[in-house]
Amino acid sequence: MKGKKWPRPFVALLIAAMMVILAACSGGSGSDAGSNPPSGHTGGTDTDSQAPSEQKGEPLKLSIMVPAFSTELPDKSSPVWQRLEEYTHTDLEIIWTPNSSYSDKLNITLASGELPTIINVGKEPSVISAVRNGAFWEVGPYLKDYPNLSQANEIVLNNTSIDGKIYGVYRARTLGRMGVTYNMVWLENLGLEPAKTIDEFYDILWQFTYNDPDRNGKDDTYGMTVTKYTGPWDIMQVWFGAPNKWGEDENGKLIPDFMTPEYREALKFFRKIYEEGLVNEDFAVMDPAVWNDPFINGESGVFVDVADNARRLNNSMQDKEPRDKPYTGVFQAPVGPKGHRDLPTSGWSGMFVISKSKVKTEEELRRVLEFLDRLNDVEMKLLLGYGIEGRHYDLVDGYVVPRDLDASLKKEIEGFNQLLMFLGEPEPGYEETEINQMINEVWEANEAIVVGNPAEPLVSEVYGRVGQQLDNIIGDARIQYIVGQINDEEFDAAIDLWMRSGGEEYIQEINELYEAAKAH
Amino acid sequence: METTIHTTDHMKSEQRRSRWAKFKKDLWLYILLFPGLVYFIIFKYLPMWGVVIAFQDYSPFLGVFGSKWVGFEHFRNFFNNPDFFRLLRNTLILAVYDLVFFFPAPIIAALMLNEIRVGIFKRIVQTAIYVPHFISMVIVASMTYVFLTTNGGVINELVYMITGQKINFLGDPAWFRPLIIMQIMWKETGWGTIIFLAALSSVDVEQYEAAIVDGATRWQRLWYITLPAISSTIVILLILRLGNFLDTGFEQIFLMTNSLNRSVADVFDTYVYFVGITQGAFSYSTAVGLFKSVVGIILIYGSNYFAKKLGHEGII
Amino acid sequence: MNISSKYDSFGERVFDVFNYLFLTLFALITVMPFVYIIAGSFATEVELIERKFFLFPRDPSFNAYKYIFSSDTIFRSILNSVYITVVGTMTNLAFTLTMAYSLSRKDLMGRNFFMNLIIFSMLFSGGMIPGYLVVKGLGLLNSYAAVILPGAISAFNLIIIKNFFQNLPAGLEEAARIDGCSDFGVFWRIVLPLSKPIIATFGLFYAVGHWNNFFSALLYLNDNKKWPLQVMLREIVILSQFAAGDMSAMDPEFVEPPDQAVKMAVIVVGTVPILCVYPFLQKHFAKGVLLGSIKG
Repeated sequence: MKGKKWPRPFVALLIAAMMVILAACSGGSGSDAGSNPPSGHTGGTDTDSQAPSEQKGEPLKLSIMVPAFSTELPDKSSPVWQRLEEYTHTDLEIIWTPNSSYSDKLNITLASGELPTIINVGKEPSVISAVRNGAFWEVGPYLKDYPNLSQANEIVLNNTSIDGKIYGVYRARTLGRMGVTYNMVWLENLGLEPAKTIDEFYDILWQFTYNDPDRNGKDDTYGMTVTKYTGPWDIMQVWFGAPNKWGEDENGKLIPDFMTPEYREALKFFRKIYEEGLVNEDFAVMDPAVWNDPFINGESGVFVDVADNARRLNNSMQDKEPRDKPYTGVFQAPVGPKGHRDLPTSGWSGMFVISKSKVKTEEELRRVLEFLDRLNDVEMKLLLGYGIEGRHYDLVDGYVVPRDLDASLKKEIEGFNQLLMFLGEPEPGYEETEINQMINEVWEANEAIVVGNPAEPLVSEVYGRVGQQLDNIIGDARIQYIVGQINDEEFDAAIDLWMRSGGEEYIQEINELYEAAKAH
Repeated sequence: METTIHTTDHMKSEQRRSRWAKFKKDLWLYILLFPGLVYFIIFKYLPMWGVVIAFQDYSPFLGVFGSKWVGFEHFRNFFNNPDFFRLLRNTLILAVYDLVFFFPAPIIAALMLNEIRVGIFKRIVQTAIYVPHFISMVIVASMTYVFLTTNGGVINELVYMITGQKINFLGDPAWFRPLIIMQIMWKETGWGTIIFLAALSSVDVEQYEAAIVDGATRWQRLWYITLPAISSTIVILLILRLGNFLDTGFEQIFLMTNSLNRSVADVFDTYVYFVGITQGAFSYSTAVGLFKSVVGIILIYGSNYFAKKLGHEGII
Repeated sequence: MNISSKYDSFGERVFDVFNYLFLTLFALITVMPFVYIIAGSFATEVELIERKFFLFPRDPSFNAYKYIFSSDTIFRSILNSVYITVVGTMTNLAFTLTMAYSLSRKDLMGRNFFMNLIIFSMLFSGGMIPGYLVVKGLGLLNSYAAVILPGAISAFNLIIIKNFFQNLPAGLEEAARIDGCSDFGVFWRIVLPLSKPIIATFGLFYAVGHWNNFFSALLYLNDNKKWPLQVMLREIVILSQFAAGDMSAMDPEFVEPPDQAVKMAVIVVGTVPILCVYPFLQKHFAKGVLLGSIKG
């Protein structure tokens, strides 16, 4: 189709001469899927039977490309793989691609014209262009027909949409993942409670800095560690009422967050806590790789990030000096002047798109979707997430108790969790420790207070062109304002520069896209 | 008339014959050349069509034949970019710093090593200074932070003890370029000496001995024997370096950039990366790459010309 | 180089002192961080977080190495790396030395054309996707040839080697030719033996390049059984970097990243084998090889 053909015999002849000294072991790959006749679609899926018997005909041949975070990946001899194929009645080829080279591999796959049946993609420019040129099926209208897929979250679906249409089944992630982690020992020492309001939050930072929270008689602590990574500022400004990247002004027009007065309020607060030494003075240059260290070392006592980091911090502190109760506690964001608000994540990490070159007919598409739907059955979630009961884990009182696995058993389950979409009924999990329970509570409660980004699904051409430059203008001005290098007028000047550098166009385009999407 | 034609014909065939004779004479040389030539054709020139995507809105899915042609649009965008001159300035200054401070470092180190007479000491030093080449930039940047931070970094503690003030090495734009060059010197000087040490190994020891007998001082020996022995290597490396003049290395700059020093830190390489995140790097970065290559080719041929004028060999 | 020092002036002796001092200091500065990395690889996570810099771990632990070597995959990948490095370097040298020699002969017809071809290719390249399509078109995907052949010649190295060959004394070749040697004979029997330091140097450059290369392995080798060491090690490190900032790419049940010590052990495991090559090559740099042959 693409017509990128090389004069192959000629080239091969030349290369043959060159390869005398090379022991080349070229492995041919290029299995063609989708050639077998599609079997009749059976509406409801049976989630109870271990191996559904209702399916007939040959197993569906499928290839699926997902990222891999492990270097030891299973092959078809893994019983997990076999059970997966059995349950979904498929002949499955899983193409695990190291996460570090995933985007390169994805682009190459797109360029080579040989797409797998299912690919995990984000909304990167090359994917958007492929979508617009008809590389993948629009699956939006079909989702309602499948028991699990139909339970996809509307907000997240909207976030994954491209030009207002749904092209993939997203892999769900916790939407309200943020939380404020405190050093509980310090809070107890000072007789403080976790902050309910921003004033209380400030008070904790102040007391952690100046009231000797570790009771060692030395002035060697401060409130909160921040690094070059701007996440904590992004989270905290939402507490103050700033929108999540884009918000509506009084006329219902979208404006970027930094043009709102709430953003400036937050910025003033950041500057104040910086001036007073409540955050580390070198945050603007600090290496994010050592972000956790001051908290673990008992130099700082507040951490604004994903809630689950509380567990990581606690684990490290327990390693240092075991304690019966956890060192850390994690709580929801404090309530600000505009109410209780927090920053969400996008709620997804990649989506499965289905290639039109592999899946030719609607009939086949339905079978592939059924496969994806089945991966969301509780049995499959357990299988992909934890392995096989009695081999890799046990179920005790409804909780998953992992077994101590040796390398070869561990390898059997490695990488399958990348196939999980976490849609539908939740599966059993690990028994909750005190800290995990806190994390889960924060996550659940957050669902009610997270603030969406109305512009998230919009694909802006201007942003594609100059977006990163625009982001840098404001991002740098923000940090310079916090550390006191520039004042309000200079920050306003940075906004002006932003407008002149394409920002004005960008706002206009976003608003047009937004109107169009609303009308849709 | 006829005769003239005849003569030219004759000359041509004569020429052909002499060429053929030359070819036959050098047959072995062509045989030796052949594998390399095939390599360059297949792996360098066959994929060379890739440069045309600089004139397209390339989409991997559509391929070169399906993507839209946009002419010089990316070049226009690049040159008309309000930041272009800042990027150019930052890139040029860093490149000049690199040339002035880093380029001579391995030469000086090699010459110093060459003056060492205790063999074992020389070997140990050689091995030690080449170690950092193997440490990734991520680690180097991390260690730089640990040593230099104003928040308890060893070096800043020392500075504080001496001067009573701390220096914001990592955030102060004035320190950005010196830091980059120092990192590179630390990391690559030892590695760079290897090639000069190899060149020095071809120096005839008897030459030194004869010079000593003639009463030449160490400086004279250095100036008249050692330096000439490596001068052609220096010239070649310099010319080749100029070919990559605008390459500042992406990773290092990227890691050392922050909101406080970006005004001096932004260079072409990091800019292309940032544009790539939002735009898909292909066409635009190819266009910027083409620009850098054209500059490089001009510098290579220009410096080669001057090298030859000055009586050196040059790269061709 | 045993040159007597009795002729040295006072200034030269001052220089000597300075020279030794400076090189010692420089060697210390370059090697200390690596010593720290080695020490850190044997330290506990707690110690690494508490102490910023140290040269000996407080209570040594082998946990990081146990983690890395917990499976046979890593051993297999070391073998893969050795294979790629050895075969790759031999390929590089074979291709580069032959071409460099023939181009070092100034009377070679078409020489300028070939040189320009090489210089041009050094600056202009088609980029990743066309390169990939060529390798794919040749049917080399998932074979080590895909990792080795596309980099068979570094134009940079080629030009320097060519220049080195040009500077070999012409008299030697003349003599050999009079003795009835063909061009190949000259190359094989005269030029190569005279070029040991340069072969050692560029062999080292190529070998280090192969040893450290992960990108083309990631790109071209789908089968993880073929992956070299650096890919394995890199994945381990990347895993821990992900924990630092990026949140959306992580699973809720994301595996805890390996700790600092593992990162450091990764550097040690990935570096020490190739570092050991250098001292063996050093002896080739030690003495001038031309001596005997010219004066003989």
